[in-house]
Amino acid sequence: MSAYMQSDSARQIGRGLAGALLVAAIWELSARGLNLPAYVLPSVTSILGGLVNDAASLAKAARYTAAESFAGYVIGCLVGMAAAVLVTMIPAARSVVLPLATAINSVPVVAYSPLVLLWFGMGMASKIVMVAVAVSFTIFLSTIAGLDRVDRKSVDLIRSFGAGRLAVLWRLRLPTALPLIIAGMRVSTVRSVIVAIVTEMLGAYDGLGWIIYQAVLQIDFVKVWAAIIVASSISLTFFGAISFIERRYVFWR
Amino acid sequence: MTGVSTSAATLPVASTGRVHAAVKPVLWLALGLLAIEVLVMALEIRPYYLPRPSAIAANIMATPGAYLAGLWRTFLETALGFVAGSLFGVLMAVIFHRWVTLRELFFPLFVVSQTIPVIAFGAVVVLWFGNTLFAKAVISFYISFLPVTVNTLLGFSSVDPRQVQLMRSFGANDVQILRRLYLPAALPQLFVALKLASSLALVGAIVGEWFGDTTGLGVLLLQAMYNENVVGIWATIVVSACLGMGLYSLVSLAERKIVFWGGEQ
Repeated sequence: MSAYMQSDSARQIGRGLAGALLVAAIWELSARGLNLPAYVLPSVTSILGGLVNDAASLAKAARYTAAESFAGYVIGCLVGMAAAVLVTMIPAARSVVLPLATAINSVPVVAYSPLVLLWFGMGMASKIVMVAVAVSFTIFLSTIAGLDRVDRKSVDLIRSFGAGRLAVLWRLRLPTALPLIIAGMRVSTVRSVIVAIVTEMLGAYDGLGWIIYQAVLQIDFVKVWAAIIVASSISLTFFGAISFIERRYVFWR
Repeated sequence: MTGVSTSAATLPVASTGRVHAAVKPVLWLALGLLAIEVLVMALEIRPYYLPRPSAIAANIMATPGAYLAGLWRTFLETALGFVAGSLFGVLMAVIFHRWVTLRELFFPLFVVSQTIPVIAFGAVVVLWFGNTLFAKAVISFYISFLPVTVNTLLGFSSVDPRQVQLMRSFGANDVQILRRLYLPAALPQLFVALKLASSLALVGAIVGEWFGDTTGLGVLLLQAMYNENVVGIWATIVVSACLGMGLYSLVSLAERKIVFWGGEQ
C-alpha cells in the first residue's frame, strides 16, 4: 500500500514538474520568439540571469523580509491563539468580540498600512506590526472555530471525572482545535510574506517590496521578476515548513 | 434544526427579533464610538495617534464627493475582478475535475502561484493594461480565482460516487450530472471561498491603485499618508471598512439564500 502511494505521489510530482517545465518553455519561447521587450515579459533565462547578477542585494533583502514576516508571524500566532482561548474561557465576551473580529477581518488589511507606517516608522517595526495584525485575526478566527468543534458530550464526560476548566481546555479543546489552528497557520504563512512586502512597498529601508518598488521606478523589470521569484521561494519554504510540521505532529486528524 | 429556525424567521411574529438583532450591533458600535470619543478627549490623545471619531466623520462630510468617487471606483474594480475571478475559478475547477491529466500537469503550478506575493505583479499588470480600471480588476481577478478553484474541487470530491452511478444509470449525461449533482454539492465549500475571495479582491484593487491612478480608495490612502493627514487616513480606512463589510455581508446574504440547507463549515 505504501509503495503504491509512493509511486503515485512520485508520478504526481513528475507530472507537476512536467507542467512547470511546459509553462516555462512556452514563456521562454513566446518572450524570445515574439521578441517581447523586457517591460512586457522578460524571458525566463534573462530573469535567471538577473537573479545571479543581483544575488547579493536580493539575498540581503530576502533576509530582511523573511525576518520581518517570521517575527510578525510568531507574534500574530501567539496573540491570536491567546485571544481565542481567553474568549472561549469567558463566554460573556464572545457575543461582543466575535462579530467585531469578523467585521474587522473583512476590512482590507492594507488599509491600515499607511497608519502603521506613520506610527512605527519606516523600519522593521512597522512591517512586523502589520504582519502580526494580519496573522492574528486569521489565527483568532480559526482557533475559535476549532475550540468550538469539541463534542458537548465529551466535555460532560471529562467534567464528570472532575476535570476543571483548564483541564478541559488543555486535554480536550486544544487537541480537538489543533488541526484547524494549524490549517490557519499554514494559510497565514503566505499571507505574512505578502503583507510584509506590501508594507515595504509603501516605505522601507530594505526588503523585497522595497526592491520591487525601486525596480519599477527604474523600469528594471527583470529585477522585478527576479525579486518576485525570491519572494515566492521564501513563502513556499515557509509554507512547506508549516505543512511538514502539520503532517508530522497533527497525526490524529 | 436549521430548517426550523429558517421557517421561524419567515413568520411575521419573529420580525421584531430580527429588527432587534439588526439594531443591537449598531447600538454597540455607537456606544463604542462614544467611548473612544470621550477617552480621546479625556486623555488628550493627539490626533496624530488617534483622532476623535467625530473628527473623522467631519472629514468625510467635508468632502463627501472625493470619498464617494473613490468608493465607487474601487467598488467597480473589486466587483469586476471578483465576479470574473469567481466564474473563472469555478470553470477551472470543472476543467480540472473533468480532465485529470490537466489537473496533474497544472494544478501544482496553480498552488505554487498562490504562494507568490501577487501584489508584486501589480506593477507588471498596470504596465500591461495601463492606468485603467481594467488593470486593477485584473489584479483582483488574479487574487480571487484561486481559492474558488481549490474549494470547488474540494466540494466536488465530497460527492458520493454511487450517486454519480445512480444518475448515470438513469441516462443522465455529463452536463446534467455536473449541474444537478456536483455543483450543488460544492456550493457550501464554494461560498467559504467566495467570502475569502471578496476581501482578497478588495485588497487587490486597493493595492493596484498604489501603482498609479487618480481616483479610488487606495489613492486616497496614499495621498493622506504623504500629507501625514492621519484624520484622512482614518476616514479612508472607515470607508474601506464599510466597503469590505458590505461585500462580505452581500456574499453571506447570497449564501443564506442559495445554500439554504446550511454548510458544514
